[in-house]
Amino acid sequence: MSDSDSHIGRRSYLKLAGGAAASAALAGCTGGGGEETTTESGGEETTTESSGEETTTATESSEPFDVTITQGQMPSGLDPQDHRETPTDIVVLHAYEGVLTRDATGAVQQALSTNYERIDGEDAVRFDIREGVTFHNGDELTPEDVAYSINRVVDEEVGFASPQSDQLAGVTGAEVIEGERAVKVLNDGLNPIVFSEFATYLDVMQQSWVEERSKAQIGQEMNGTGPFKLDSYTEDEEVVLSRYDDYWQEPAAVDTLTFRAASEASTRVNQLLQGETDVIVNVPPQEVQRVNNSENARVAAAPSTRIIYNAMRYDVEPFDSVEFRQAMNYAIDLESIVQNVLGGFGAQTSQPTLPEFVGHNADLDPYPYDPEMAEQLVEESGYAGAEIELNTPVGRYLKDLEISQAVAGYINELPNVTATVRQRDFGSLVDELLAGSIEERPHWFLIGWGEATFDGGLVMTALLSSEGVLTTWENEEFDSLLADAGQQSGDERDATLQEANALAHEECPWIFLNQQFSVYGVNDAIEWEARSDERIDVYDMRQK
Amino acid sequence: MSLSRFLIKRSLQGLFVIWGVITVVFGLRFISPGDPANVLLPPDVDPEVRAQVIAELGLNEPLYVQYWDFISGIPLGDLGLSLVTRTPVAARVITKVPATLELAIAATIVAVIIAIPLGVVSATRRHQPADYAATVFSLFGISTPNFWLGVMLILILAVQLNLFPTSQRPIGIDGILLLVANGNLDAAFDGFTTWLWHITLPAITLGTYFTALITRLTRSGMLDQLGQTYVRASRAKGLPETLVRYKHALRNTLIPVITVIGLQLGTLIGGAVITEAVFAWPGLGTLIINSINARDWPVLQGSLIIVAVGFVLVNILVDALYAYVNPQVAYD
Repeated sequence: MSDSDSHIGRRSYLKLAGGAAASAALAGCTGGGGEETTTESGGEETTTESSGEETTTATESSEPFDVTITQGQMPSGLDPQDHRETPTDIVVLHAYEGVLTRDATGAVQQALSTNYERIDGEDAVRFDIREGVTFHNGDELTPEDVAYSINRVVDEEVGFASPQSDQLAGVTGAEVIEGERAVKVLNDGLNPIVFSEFATYLDVMQQSWVEERSKAQIGQEMNGTGPFKLDSYTEDEEVVLSRYDDYWQEPAAVDTLTFRAASEASTRVNQLLQGETDVIVNVPPQEVQRVNNSENARVAAAPSTRIIYNAMRYDVEPFDSVEFRQAMNYAIDLESIVQNVLGGFGAQTSQPTLPEFVGHNADLDPYPYDPEMAEQLVEESGYAGAEIELNTPVGRYLKDLEISQAVAGYINELPNVTATVRQRDFGSLVDELLAGSIEERPHWFLIGWGEATFDGGLVMTALLSSEGVLTTWENEEFDSLLADAGQQSGDERDATLQEANALAHEECPWIFLNQQFSVYGVNDAIEWEARSDERIDVYDMRQK
Repeated sequence: MSLSRFLIKRSLQGLFVIWGVITVVFGLRFISPGDPANVLLPPDVDPEVRAQVIAELGLNEPLYVQYWDFISGIPLGDLGLSLVTRTPVAARVITKVPATLELAIAATIVAVIIAIPLGVVSATRRHQPADYAATVFSLFGISTPNFWLGVMLILILAVQLNLFPTSQRPIGIDGILLLVANGNLDAAFDGFTTWLWHITLPAITLGTYFTALITRLTRSGMLDQLGQTYVRASRAKGLPETLVRYKHALRNTLIPVITVIGLQLGTLIGGAVITEAVFAWPGLGTLIINSINARDWPVLQGSLIIVAVGFVLVNILVDALYAYVNPQVAYD
C-alpha cells in the first residue's frame, strides 16, 4: 500500500485548513504515517557497518563503470532549491537528498530521517535525523542543517524567494527540537499532505556551506549528502560527478557520472548508437526501431505521471453542449492514435486521473471509436456544421502536433463538423492558459499535466474545478465532490474522487487522450529500469 | 581619406549598427509571445511565487527602465544576468565564441581548399566533363540544407562506418593553446587530433554551401578575367599559359572572392546555429537556440550583440583589405 491513500488535495486542504472536519483527516493520516514508520525502521538495519565491506568489494571490481546521460537541456544551475525543471532535478538529486524519498513505484521511503510522525496537539510534524551522514565536504549532517534547508525554501527572509516554496504548501518553518536529534516542521494548519510533499521535494543543504557562499557560487558548486559528489561543472556543456565513497548507504556502483545535453532528438539517438553516451531521454517513436535494432542499445519506457488531453471550454459554442463534447470523444480512434502515432508508447485514458494515482476509477473504459454515434450526437447537440480549431503546442510533448492532427483528422471525417489544427508556440499558449479567467483561454486546446505527487485530487482541482489554475469547466456537482474529498481521507476520499472521475467521464470536459510514456534509450551494458516519476536514478544502475 | 580616418568613420557607423541591433532585439522581446516566467515555471506554481520570481528577474519594471538597465551596462561589458541560470551573460557568451569561430574558420578553410582549385579547373576546362562535374557539385552544395547534410554525414560516416564521432567538442583550440603554453606538447598534439576528429563533419556540413558558392564565383570571375584584353596581351607577348592563368587572371579573380569570403564569415556564424544543434557543438549557435527555447532574453541579446560586433568588425576589415589589395578602390 502506498502512502497516497492518506493524501488530501493540496489546494482543497489549503482552503479548508483549520476547519472542524479536519480532525477526521488528521486521525487518518497519523495512522498511515505511523504504520510506515514501523515497517521502514525495520528495514533500515541494512546500513552503515555492513556497507563498509561492500564498499571494498565494489571498488575492487575490475574496470571503471562510467555513465553518461544526455538530456534535452542542461541544468539551469546546481542550487537544488532554485529551479523548477526536471532536467535540473535529475542532476541535483544525485548529490542532494531529502528527509524522505520515493522508490521507483512512487512509495514513500525514508532517506535522511529515520522516523517521521505528527506531533500530538500541534500543527507540526517531527523528523528524527539520521546519524552518521556526512556532506561531501566531510562535515556531519545536523538537525540544524535540515531545519535551515526547510526555512530556506519557505521563508524568504532566510534565503531568497525560492520558486519551490509552494511545493511545501502549508509549511511555515522548521526548528530543531532542543536536546534531540530531531526537527519540528511547523504548518499553518493540519497539512495532511505534508509527508507526501517531503517525499517529493526538499533537498537538504549544509547551513554553514550555504551561508559562506554567494548565490552564484551555490549555483556552480555542490555539497550534498547524496551518492555522488561534484567533480566539475561547465555551464552549457557538462556536469561531471563521481562516487562519494563515504555515502551513508552502500556506495554507488557507478564511478563517474556525466551529464550532457543535446536538444536534437536524432543527435541523442546517434550518440547512443555510437556509444558516446549511455542513457538518452525522449527517444521519438520513429527512432525506437533503430535503437532496438542496434547492437548496443535498447529502449526502456515507463508510464509517466503526465496526462495529455484536449480541453474544450464549457462556456462557448459548440462545446457548451454535453452531446457535442461526447461526440468528440466518440469521433476519435484513440487506440489507433496510441498505436500508430505514439508507436504504442502511451496508454489510453478515460478520465482525468491516471491509473497509478489516488482516486483512479478502474470501472471507466476509454470512449470507443464510434463515428456514427458521434455524428448522431452532433445532430442532437444542434451544432451540426460547426467549425472548430484545435490549438496545439509543437514539440513540447511526445508527438503533440501529430496527436492533434490525428484528432482533428478523425473529427473532420464526421460529415457535420469541420476541424482544423492551429500550431502554437508553447510560451504564448501557456500565457493564454494562465491568463487568470476562463474567458481568455482558447476554446479548444491540447496540453499536458504532470503531477509528481501521484494524486488525482490535485490534478482535478487544478484542471477542472471552478477555481483551478487551468480550468475550462464549471460544474457544481464536480466542485462539491472535490470539496468533500478535501475533508476526507483514505478509502472514503478515494471513493469520492472516483465518483468525480466518473462524472468527468460522463460530462466530457475533455477529449480524453493519452498517458504519456517516458521513453529512454539505454546502453545494453547497463542494468536499469525506467521510473514513472521521470527521474533517472543512477544509484540504481548496475553493470551487466 | 586616410586609413585611420576610414577606420574611425566605419567604427562609428558600426557602433550605430550595433545599437540598432540591440534596440530591435529588445523591441522583439516585447512583441514576441511567451512570458519568460511561464517558461521557467510550471503552470501550477502558486501565483505569489510567480510574482516573486518575476520581481526578482526585474520583469515587472517598465519597458524604458529595463531598456536603460540593459543598454547602460554594455559599455562596461555588463550584459546582465541570464534569466534561467542567473549567471552573467557576458562571460557565458564570450566562452562560446571560440567554438563558433573555430567552426566558421574550419568551414572556410574546407571551402577555400576545395572551391578555388575547383573553380579554376571548371573555368579553364569550360564545357568539358570536369566543368560539368564541378557544376553538379556546386548545385548539390547550394541546394542541400545544412541539417540534412549533417544528419546524413553522421548516419553514414559516424554511425555506419564509425570513422568520426557524432557530436560534441571535447577540446577546443583555446584548450590546445593552453596545453602548449604549459609546455605539455604531447597532450596538445593528442588534443589537436581529437579536435580535428570532432570538427571534420561539422566543418564539412557548414562549409559545403560556402564551397559551392565560391566555386561558382571563382569560375565566373576566372572566365571574365580570361576574356580580358590584358590576358590576351600577355598571351600575345608569349607568356606561358600557366603564368597567365595563375599569376594574372587568378589574382584578379580573387579580389571579389576575398570580399565574399570575409563577408560570408559573418554569415557562417549565423549558419552555424543549425549545424551546431545537429552536432551538439557548444558554440554561440547552440546558445542562441537554447536561449530562444527558454525565452532567456538577456542571453539572446548578448549573443546577438557579439554576432553583430563580429559582423561589423569583419566588414570593416574586409573593406580595408579590399582597398589594400585593389589600389583602384579608395577609402571613402
